[in-house]
Amino acid sequence: MKAIAKLHFVLLSTITLSFFLAGAMPSIAADSRLDVSLDSTKSAPRQVESLTQKSIVRDYKLAWASLAQALESNSPAPLNGLFEGSASEWLNQRVGGQQRSGLSSRYSNQNHKLQAVFYAQEGDVIELHDTAEYDIEILDGRNTIHTEHVLERYVVLMTPGVDRWVIRQLQSVPQF
Amino acid sequence: MSWSINTALRNRNLGALVAVLLGALCYSSGQDVALRAPATATAGNPIAIGTSGSGSATFYLIGPSVSLKRDDIQLGQDISLSDKEIQSSGRYLAIVCTNSCSNAAFFVAPAKPSTLTFLAHPSRVPVERGDAISAVAMPFDEFHNLVLTSTTVDFQLAAKGSAPVSHKVQTDGGVAWFRTNSGKAAGVLQMTASLDGVSARRVVQQVASDPCNLRIKGARNPKGISVETEPVRDCAGNPVPDGTIVTFTARNGNQISTVDAPVKQDIARAQISTSGPVVVSAASGVVMGNELRIGGQ
Repeated sequence: MKAIAKLHFVLLSTITLSFFLAGAMPSIAADSRLDVSLDSTKSAPRQVESLTQKSIVRDYKLAWASLAQALESNSPAPLNGLFEGSASEWLNQRVGGQQRSGLSSRYSNQNHKLQAVFYAQEGDVIELHDTAEYDIEILDGRNTIHTEHVLERYVVLMTPGVDRWVIRQLQSVPQF
Repeated sequence: MSWSINTALRNRNLGALVAVLLGALCYSSGQDVALRAPATATAGNPIAIGTSGSGSATFYLIGPSVSLKRDDIQLGQDISLSDKEIQSSGRYLAIVCTNSCSNAAFFVAPAKPSTLTFLAHPSRVPVERGDAISAVAMPFDEFHNLVLTSTTVDFQLAAKGSAPVSHKVQTDGGVAWFRTNSGKAAGVLQMTASLDGVSARRVVQQVASDPCNLRIKGARNPKGISVETEPVRDCAGNPVPDGTIVTFTARNGNQISTVDAPVKQDIARAQISTSGPVVVSAASGVVMGNELRIGGQ
């Protein structure tokens, strides 16, 4: 009986601890509400193979989940390996600016509709147009200073890395 | 605000609705500040954002590579943004907070092109191949913004012994690309992409294609038979690269001997040990050479 009671105690403790940890962790709940779809019918001069399409969707989704995490937690670490070049530099600067000014940004309900517009013959660069919708909340400390549902368009350059596609350019534009 | 209420109602989220209504109450009780952002702004050029009202406020700027906060700005005066604060192209959000917050969004466009990213493939290409060479050029401004306004990129190809070829392509979405055949002569192909005084250069090495004709000659010597090719060339007359393998086959009745020999300075040589009469042939890739009959010792 003692052993069963002990087991119950351990189980209860584990469940309680899990709830606590889940609450304490930086919120990456946005990840579960992050939709990415890719239309590659207009890609030229090369068609995007179905396996490549899947990789791009997977890696773009991961990149945005990590971007949201970095800007909410004010840590550049989640950006590593997913952004390169200008995209990495800009996002790191933005996180640094948030750290200095005590700001943070919270992205949620993300929906990205990607269209492949250029895929190089050698497969070494792809240009995507992303019509993105999301809710953004900007906080100064704990005070919300701005909330907005944003419809934003991005021109995206991605290149294949060692084991994934990385974002090299993430540039918002008024229209395509 | 109406959007927020609609969204809260649509999502049937009572908590969000209460928060929105509280926010509206808070907003209406505060001082309304109008922000006037410029209709157009260019990366790296300072701008000013106009404000209305009086007293002090806190100003925030959120952009692609910037997050800043300025306390105690004076309402009714312009807020100056320096060239360094708006270097990245994209959407910026200016927010001014007193008791409540007002905001204005504006876009910063890329500056003029200052560099060209030029991708040329492949680095080595056999001559006379259709659409074998591809070139991609992307113009960027000095702040690494992709320049998206349509502009003409001039691709120039120059190879020794032939007149330079120019190929003009309009950028579409910041990308200009084209494909072309490789030339007839082996050697260096200089590729240059240029626009508005900015240029980038790449080199593609055009190498001989597969051997076209194989002619062999041979003679008996004390060790057997010495065979060699005449200079091995592709169909355009370019000498094939050193290391191209030529396979010599000697048949003597049912006995077959095979020797693989690399081309060295245009010629492949082999020594075949045999004493009887033989028929020697040569092949490289898909090309067969002539047959050579050499009598026995």
